[in-house]
Amino acid sequence: MSFLSVKQLHKSYGSTMIFQDIEFSAKQGELVTLLGPSGCGKSTLLRCLAGLTPVNGGRILLDGQDIAALSPQKRGIAMVFQSYALFPNMTVAQNVAFGLKMQKVDRQTLIRRTAEAVELVELKGFEGRYPHQLSGGQCQRVALARSLVTRPRLLLLDEPLSALDARIRRHLREQIRSLQQELNLTTLFVTHDQEEALTMSDRIVLMQEGRIVQSGDAETLYTAPATLFAAGFMGNYNILDAAQASALLGHNFGQQVAIRPESIRINASEGPSAEIIGHTLLGNVIRYRVRTMGIELLVDVLNHDASALRTRGTHVTLGIDLSAAREVA
Amino acid sequence: MSNASRSVSLYHRLVVWLLFLILLLPLAATLLYSLATQWSATLLPSGLTLKWYAALWSDSRFLIAFGHSLVVCVGALLLAIFLVLPLMFVIAYHFPRLDALMNVLILLPFAVPPVVSSVGLLQLYAGGPLPLIGTPWILIGCYFTIALPFMYRAISNNLQALNVHDLMDAAHLLGASTFRAALLVVLPNLRKGLMVALFLSFSFLIGEFVFANILVGARYETLQVYLYNMRNGSGHFTSALVISYFLVVLIVTWAASGLSRDKS
Repeated sequence: MSFLSVKQLHKSYGSTMIFQDIEFSAKQGELVTLLGPSGCGKSTLLRCLAGLTPVNGGRILLDGQDIAALSPQKRGIAMVFQSYALFPNMTVAQNVAFGLKMQKVDRQTLIRRTAEAVELVELKGFEGRYPHQLSGGQCQRVALARSLVTRPRLLLLDEPLSALDARIRRHLREQIRSLQQELNLTTLFVTHDQEEALTMSDRIVLMQEGRIVQSGDAETLYTAPATLFAAGFMGNYNILDAAQASALLGHNFGQQVAIRPESIRINASEGPSAEIIGHTLLGNVIRYRVRTMGIELLVDVLNHDASALRTRGTHVTLGIDLSAAREVA
Repeated sequence: MSNASRSVSLYHRLVVWLLFLILLLPLAATLLYSLATQWSATLLPSGLTLKWYAALWSDSRFLIAFGHSLVVCVGALLLAIFLVLPLMFVIAYHFPRLDALMNVLILLPFAVPPVVSSVGLLQLYAGGPLPLIGTPWILIGCYFTIALPFMYRAISNNLQALNVHDLMDAAHLLGASTFRAALLVVLPNLRKGLMVALFLSFSFLIGEFVFANILVGARYETLQVYLYNMRNGSGHFTSALVISYFLVVLIVTWAASGLSRDKS
């Protein structure tokens, strides 16, 4: 039984379609990521779920109740914005307590729950500071506490990490995920970053131009992309047309084939021979560009040892398992 | 620092001080004149006294005129706050495209010279359904239009620095109605711009003469009209008046610049 289910949702501005036929669901306590390039309608979809933007049709069922016609104040949904949207005239404590104040909870409860929320995001001691005295990561944690304090039924995160630097982003990502699991809070997370999506989500909904392309768990989306777009977005897949793939793998393909760069080996005992034409160091991985039978391929190899680096012009033997090749529409 | 650059910096400082002195000289002379017992045949005043100030601040006509000026200015500014603030919020939140139109509208009070518009206002409000000429109401309305550009510019800068949409969205989701969100989240952040605008317009309006003289004149004497009517009296007395007026404006301006600085 799903906790949140979205049915036949569509939205357009005049004749411009923003998204249509959106259908997905989330179980209680699940983190579902809406992934897609910018302009695919994922942020608008999130705003529609929050009630900040009206939809043109469809149903949003939350805990069995259709909330599509409710005002944002009555939905019991909290949201964290990319811009933090902290109230600049209020301290951390006042920001966090705002939602409770609006609910008119009594003073003692307000103080207790505010303190709990501040502690939850590890900002104890910062209660009296103003947002302009905090770093970006701290601001986003305040925003998170402000959203959690009202105990929402659904938490929406709109690219909450995009404005932060890489190290803070990784740390906050883990913090958000563990908080979400601890509170068993159903969460929708919007991002354009496939790494973020893969590491955080229970399930991923991949969107393109206002439609859902594929949805499933991270594992499935990464290893079994359904379309060319999904393959291109979820990793650095090698895309071969049917003829190239048939020649390379010795098997008849009717469609284009996607092969992940890390599923190709360059030190196989037998297979097609290839020439290294360049490499990029990605840190723990070396990405080679190789040419075989007039086809250029990307091959990822773990960076075990600096001396193992194959230079340009080296001849290698490729090992490609048939099972790693995936036909895509 | 080399010799050449030191002499250059000395030169720069000299120019600034000279300019400052030129600007200060008339004011200093007025101040001295207002403090002098007599200053006509000698190079320096023959003696110093505060009697002109005592006479001024005990003149009930001056105090009434001062009171009139305050009523008209504060009235106009209150009107501006209650009309402009909600208007600006609605423009920023719902109709951002109207901002361009407003930018043209707020320039109109400057585009038409006061003498011209006051003649127009005289014709409009001398009789008819709204005979406002000679009452403070016409001045309050008129000063409102003068304060509008100051208010609009200062507050709109303030609003643009604020991410009004996200703040309102966040407040809505936390359970606040639009009115409460505007009151609790947007308004307090406009305080700074609002204060600067208010003090700026106040110093400007309290020195306004053309509209006050033509539209109302002696029937509701304001400070500047009073000064004008006293022009044939003692120069020492009017000097004391100018210095008193200047001090009030100085204090207000200083308060404004103090408020516009960040608290942190």
